Amino acid sequence: MNEFEWRQQMRRLREPVAPRRDLWNVIEAALEDCGEKAARAQIRQRASTRPWLLAAAVTGAFLLAGNLGLQVHRDASIAPASAPALADTAWRPSDPRLSGAAIELDAARIELQQAMHQSNSPSLQRLLARTERQQAQLRHFAQEAG
Amino acid sequence: MIAACPATDCSMPPASAAPAATDDDADDARAAASGDRRAFQRLYRRHAERIHGAVYRLAGYDHARAEDLTQEAFVRAWQKLPGFRHESAFGTWLYRLAVNMALMEIRARRADPVGFVDEQQLPDRGETPFCAAEREELEQAIGTLPPRARAVLVLHDIEGWRHEEIGAELDMAVGTSKAQLHRARQLLRRALGAGS
Repeated sequence: MNEFEWRQQMRRLREPVAPRRDLWNVIEAALEDCGEKAARAQIRQRASTRPWLLAAAVTGAFLLAGNLGLQVHRDASIAPASAPALADTAWRPSDPRLSGAAIELDAARIELQQAMHQSNSPSLQRLLARTERQQAQLRHFAQEAG
Repeated sequence: MIAACPATDCSMPPASAAPAATDDDADDARAAASGDRRAFQRLYRRHAERIHGAVYRLAGYDHARAEDLTQEAFVRAWQKLPGFRHESAFGTWLYRLAVNMALMEIRARRADPVGFVDEQQLPDRGETPFCAAEREELEQAIGTLPPRARAVLVLHDIEGWRHEEIGAELDMAVGTSKAQLHRARQLLRRALGAGS
């Protein structure tokens, strides 16, 4: 037998073969299981992302507040402001974990506004803008985190 | 004697061949990708035998193993369908996916390794291990081959793959694939009792 005949012989083995039983029911059950698992995984993923978002928001807010505090104290020409009263429009998050950061940020914003009345410095303007952006971001994180 | 050759089978082009109803396949594949189980069931009905045939041969004609592999292949296809970009026929895509799954085990355990052999080193035509056999005998003998050698033999001699494709799929050099094929044919000849 030469190679050509061999190959002819072997190619004849290439035929569709029916499984001994219908596999569809098993496959369908596995698909349902896959669907449920995927849904559960999605819920788990969402749940595990939420605390991270909150933690990131709180950490970011504290870092910025600390940074702002340092910069304000460095400016010797500005008299220390009296303890700022929170504006009526101040944002009060429902999540107690965020309320500390929100108060810090709002206080920083008010301090900056007061400082700007005394000296209209461009760096103070930039800081004020950043503080307001950070506040907005914190609200956004809080909304996303539910 | 050799088993009769069904007309459709002998003219079957190599591995990438897709069955008929390609248009239906494309529509059903799109529907199934968006979660339509009935469409996926139709795909299963059209392709199950071809897929099962391929994995049955790769699994050494072991029915139970082949059925497991067929099920796994269809479940995996369902999961991967949303990513199927219709660049090839659905049948071709499914076939490659199923073969890939059947080879996964062989690839992982690197069974019966054969080192790289240069083509020049392979025996000349006087020693070619070709022999005629009955279909059942042949299938039984293929089932006794070591998994890696069997995979190369099935893919090359039955499924019509090229050594380059086999090498890529089994993560081996082309020369190794050729060596495995030669070894498989020799073992087959021995198993069939055609030693001379």
